[in-house]
Amino acid sequence: MRPAAFEYHRAASIEEALSLLAEFGEDGRPIAGGQSLVPMMNLRLARPEHLVDINSLELDKIERTGDTLSLGALVRHERYFNEPLIAEHFPAFLDAAHWIGHPTIRRHGSLGGSISHADPSAELPCVCVLHDATIVARSVNGERRIPASEFFISAYVTALEPGEMVVAVELPIPQRKQHGAFIEIAERMGDFAVIGIGAVLELDGDTVLDARIACAGAELTPVRAASAEQFLKGRQLTEEVAQEAGQLFAQSVDPVNDYRSSAEYRRHLIVQLTSRTLMRAMKSKA
Amino acid sequence: MTQTTLTVNGQTRTLEVEPRRLLADIIRTEFDVSGVHIGCAHGVCGCCTVHIDGIPRLSCLTFAVQCDGKEINTVESLGGFDATHVLQQAFKSEHGLQCGYCTPGFLMTLAPYVEKKVANGEMPSDEEIREAISGNICRCTGYHGIVAAVRKAISNQLEGQQA
Amino acid sequence: MKAENPRQIGARVQRFEDVRLLSGVARYIDDIRLPNCLHLTFARSQMAHGRILDVDTSALEDIGYPTWVFTGKDIGDLSMKAHQDVPEMQYSEQPLLARDVVRFVGEPVAAVLAEDPYLSEDAAEMVFIDCDPLPVVGTMDQARDPSIPPIHDGWKSNVFIERQMKGGDLEAARANAAYVVRRTFRNQRQTGVPMECRGVVAQYSPGDRMLTVWSSTQMPHLVRTYISEELDLPESRIRVIAPEVGGGFGVKGQVFGEEVLVAWLAMKTQRPVKWIEDRRENLIASIHARDHAHTLEAYVSKEGRLLGLWADISVDVGAYSTFPFTAAGDPGMAAKVMPGPYDFQAYEATFRALASNKCPLGTYRGVARPSAVFSQERLMDEIAKEIGMDPIEFRLKNIIREFPYKNVLGFTYDPGSYAESLEKIREILADDIAAARETRHSKEKRIGVGLACFIEQTAHGTPDFTRRRVPIETGYIAARVEMQPDGTVVIGLGLQSHGQGLETTMAQVAADALGIDPKDVFVRHGDTLTSPYSVGTWGSRGGPLGGGAVHLASLKIADKLKAIAAHQLQSNKDQISLGGGKAYITDDPSRYIPIRTLARQALRNVENLPEGMIPGLEAEYSLDGPRDGTYSNAVHAAVVEIDVPTGKLKLKRFVVVEDCGTIINPLVVDGQVRGGVVQGIGSALFEHMIYDEQCQPLTTSFADYLMPLAPELPNIEVHHIETPTPLNPIGAKGLGEGGAIGPAPAIANAVSDALGVEVNETPLTLNAIWRLSAHIRGEAS
Repeated sequence: MRPAAFEYHRAASIEEALSLLAEFGEDGRPIAGGQSLVPMMNLRLARPEHLVDINSLELDKIERTGDTLSLGALVRHERYFNEPLIAEHFPAFLDAAHWIGHPTIRRHGSLGGSISHADPSAELPCVCVLHDATIVARSVNGERRIPASEFFISAYVTALEPGEMVVAVELPIPQRKQHGAFIEIAERMGDFAVIGIGAVLELDGDTVLDARIACAGAELTPVRAASAEQFLKGRQLTEEVAQEAGQLFAQSVDPVNDYRSSAEYRRHLIVQLTSRTLMRAMKSKA
Repeated sequence: MTQTTLTVNGQTRTLEVEPRRLLADIIRTEFDVSGVHIGCAHGVCGCCTVHIDGIPRLSCLTFAVQCDGKEINTVESLGGFDATHVLQQAFKSEHGLQCGYCTPGFLMTLAPYVEKKVANGEMPSDEEIREAISGNICRCTGYHGIVAAVRKAISNQLEGQQA
Repeated sequence: MKAENPRQIGARVQRFEDVRLLSGVARYIDDIRLPNCLHLTFARSQMAHGRILDVDTSALEDIGYPTWVFTGKDIGDLSMKAHQDVPEMQYSEQPLLARDVVRFVGEPVAAVLAEDPYLSEDAAEMVFIDCDPLPVVGTMDQARDPSIPPIHDGWKSNVFIERQMKGGDLEAARANAAYVVRRTFRNQRQTGVPMECRGVVAQYSPGDRMLTVWSSTQMPHLVRTYISEELDLPESRIRVIAPEVGGGFGVKGQVFGEEVLVAWLAMKTQRPVKWIEDRRENLIASIHARDHAHTLEAYVSKEGRLLGLWADISVDVGAYSTFPFTAAGDPGMAAKVMPGPYDFQAYEATFRALASNKCPLGTYRGVARPSAVFSQERLMDEIAKEIGMDPIEFRLKNIIREFPYKNVLGFTYDPGSYAESLEKIREILADDIAAARETRHSKEKRIGVGLACFIEQTAHGTPDFTRRRVPIETGYIAARVEMQPDGTVVIGLGLQSHGQGLETTMAQVAADALGIDPKDVFVRHGDTLTSPYSVGTWGSRGGPLGGGAVHLASLKIADKLKAIAAHQLQSNKDQISLGGGKAYITDDPSRYIPIRTLARQALRNVENLPEGMIPGLEAEYSLDGPRDGTYSNAVHAAVVEIDVPTGKLKLKRFVVVEDCGTIINPLVVDGQVRGGVVQGIGSALFEHMIYDEQCQPLTTSFADYLMPLAPELPNIEVHHIETPTPLNPIGAKGLGEGGAIGPAPAIANAVSDALGVEVNETPLTLNAIWRLSAHIRGEAS
């Protein structure tokens, strides 16, 4: 369990990184924290011929530009906890961060790394889909801005082209105060979710003005709950309504069935966790 | 081969390193340090935790070439041959180890944690301590003695500050 | 003046081995580095069952660096053989490298050596194994299906062995029963997962014709014997060293083909050879455990007395029989221990070992007892429910109270505290039982309390192995105690310590017998050159047999010290006591001689010895276990809280009341119990080695094979009752495995209590608990 041979390149600038990635195409991979890529390499499930180390690039900024919060690809997970802009505008994101891996992984794992790895049960891809994030990818050919809903194509497959890498994730800052929560169920703390649900609510009292719900672990990519979101609009959020929203969401997905969890169980969890997450989001108002 | 300068437990050497060599392997073979253990080589068990510029990191998920110019510390640097570090002593008195294989990883994960808690004057709950070690697997102790050792190392120092 | 003689046995002595483990200087197998060493990587079968057409190594010819490659054709008939010498047994033989057929995923097919482990791994990838698939045997039903061809040539079926055990009149029990309760139970396949994988280093030195083998093993002498027999070398020319061993748990308590092969390769290549198992190999191909299916039928009187028990036991033991406990080990053990701590005198068991295209099964902490006790203790709860009795009351009604007790199979139980343990746990859990009752009708949160009461046969002696007719053959443990001229002591111990703290506990035992400080006792173990022949550390025998042997050998030296002291103090040796580093007149401690002085006289200034006394202070003792062993007992209890809508289980409390006789060191005993319990919790909730229909293993990394992590666990509460056994010189019973035996049944009983359903299978994963609570949600289950 040691990696196959590769060539190592430390990029001093984004331009250099992109030109190296362009040169290597399919055979090149950027490496940041390495928390997802290196295990795959050690198991020889991934064998890039060139690694482009992007750790020294200045891609670790969290900044607000107008109505957008931009997070650099190299922002490490543990920073989400100390970022007032996330706490204020993206409570579901903050809530989700608690479920990511273990302390050492949170310290080194990066936002760009997690979403490029695109594990179907990971928290951050789900958060991106939940918040209608835009994934900013760059290559020597320029920048592409990809909506999260189009970025995740399948399990471990993204819209990134060879030579392209994620440089930032942009989250639209909501106009009005939003309430959010994220809950997941995993066999053990820190494991990838069997099901994880994120919810964002805009409320007037108990009445839902706008709702967004997304799920990790059900399908090969994070999924949104269009019908449940629509259903919630204008309704007073009660336990019953939340349950019903969960039912609607569960009916709209086609959960995977694997040796760990059956599709029925996943579907059931979607109902329960959607309902709980909505109630948790609402209670966070207090 | 990539020229790489590493400082391991204060010893600086410049080596020609093949990029794919894991930091854990280079520390073990080139610096003859035995306190870095490889338990899974895929980033789950925490046995190989070392400090890079003071921060815990899994040396099985790190390539040595990535550490050019960095300071790396292993368990050997904590309390020397006599294991004098307060956490090592607490592991001993609370039976926080049996076979010892995972122990360096736990110590390197926990040493900065204990230091931070003591600096903040906080006594974490058992639940918090258990979360702090959720990236380390121990197969012998059932974690009981490890949690007790962390409690003891922190409380001893907090009491020492008050005295 | 009274000489100080604090008793070391029973003292909470901090471990002497800890400093080197904490400081990082301890040397494990991968720290054995020899110049000019070749590194071995195996090319292993990726197919579960197939006929080998070709092992193509031609790609290595122009790889650009030196490699050495060996396949099944190159190694003659070297193999692992592990036969139970009974007529029913069908023999299997595993070539060290597969020759004609591969029988499980992970079976070694080619050995590839290079001068660097990265390079040997690259090279091993280039070996192409061409196989013609054969039908796989993947389930117990398939193994018993006569239409599926046997996986070994010349076999009549896929049953390694099927036998019976019986005692008493089961027909009468059946006839007199007011209740007949029948249930089927299933425990999953697991593996033991020491944090250090296995590894072997071997070096042959032609000068003195000495083969030295380092192996991460629990049984260095047995490794030596097997290598000697297989490679036809004198045992006197083989030295096996177990360096620091990073956990074993029984997994490293067998002799493995790699140990023999690495030794052979070192001789063949005339260079040191090193093999370090990687985690994937460890999970799929080291050794597996459990995988039991039991059907039990209990016959119970109107008054709630157990009259008899019928059992049918199947174990999927994988593709090959393992050395030295064989394919018959697990099923035989399950059948033997099934009667447990209860008083009844009619029993009949049929037990069988079934072959499959999976990794061979071997010993792992508890060996069959976790499964046997699971079935036994689940059944006790089911019977209690059926006859309307409280489960603890029902157990108390049937528990053995008088000792020695001869059980239905003729095994004699030495004194224990079975009833007291149950009473004690009932007292400890009173509030939890009440709290659980409160949640009985909740559709949200349920609390449940469950317990498992069990005994564990430990430290069994040679007759037990003779009866089994398996190649382990014997059960004694030897210790050689040598006092040095300065009064310090070296013990050569036939056990091998891999976390149990034997360097401390054995020193405590010796210190008591010799009247010295345990810090002055240095325990050497794990090296066949410095330790007397013994079968190693397994079977919960280190404390009682190692401790007993050290005690008895030390007494021989104590006796000699007393004789020298008596001579010089002009007293009688019966009047001399040892303590506080002195030999003194018992009635007048002011008259003494330091033991250090006596030691110097015995070894150097021998002119001061009594006339005719032979110089030297060395004694050896080999202590065999009692015929039927000595029986530890324990009750484990779990309190669980279940979030019904999601199936999430929280272990709120885990309590152990245990009795292992004399406690040598409470720190170590508690550690062994707690560590065992958490492994048992792993069996109950998380750990599952899963294969698909083609016998491809699915849980091949730590992302899939889930072990307990700290956040999932409560603090484990341990209470002791001490009933020293008369069968052991220091009163100790074994305890290393017991912790792992009780958790699965205790937790399953707690889940059953919480949800009001039968819980007949493990692991109790999220999905499993959710399925078990269907009736609460109003769904058909």
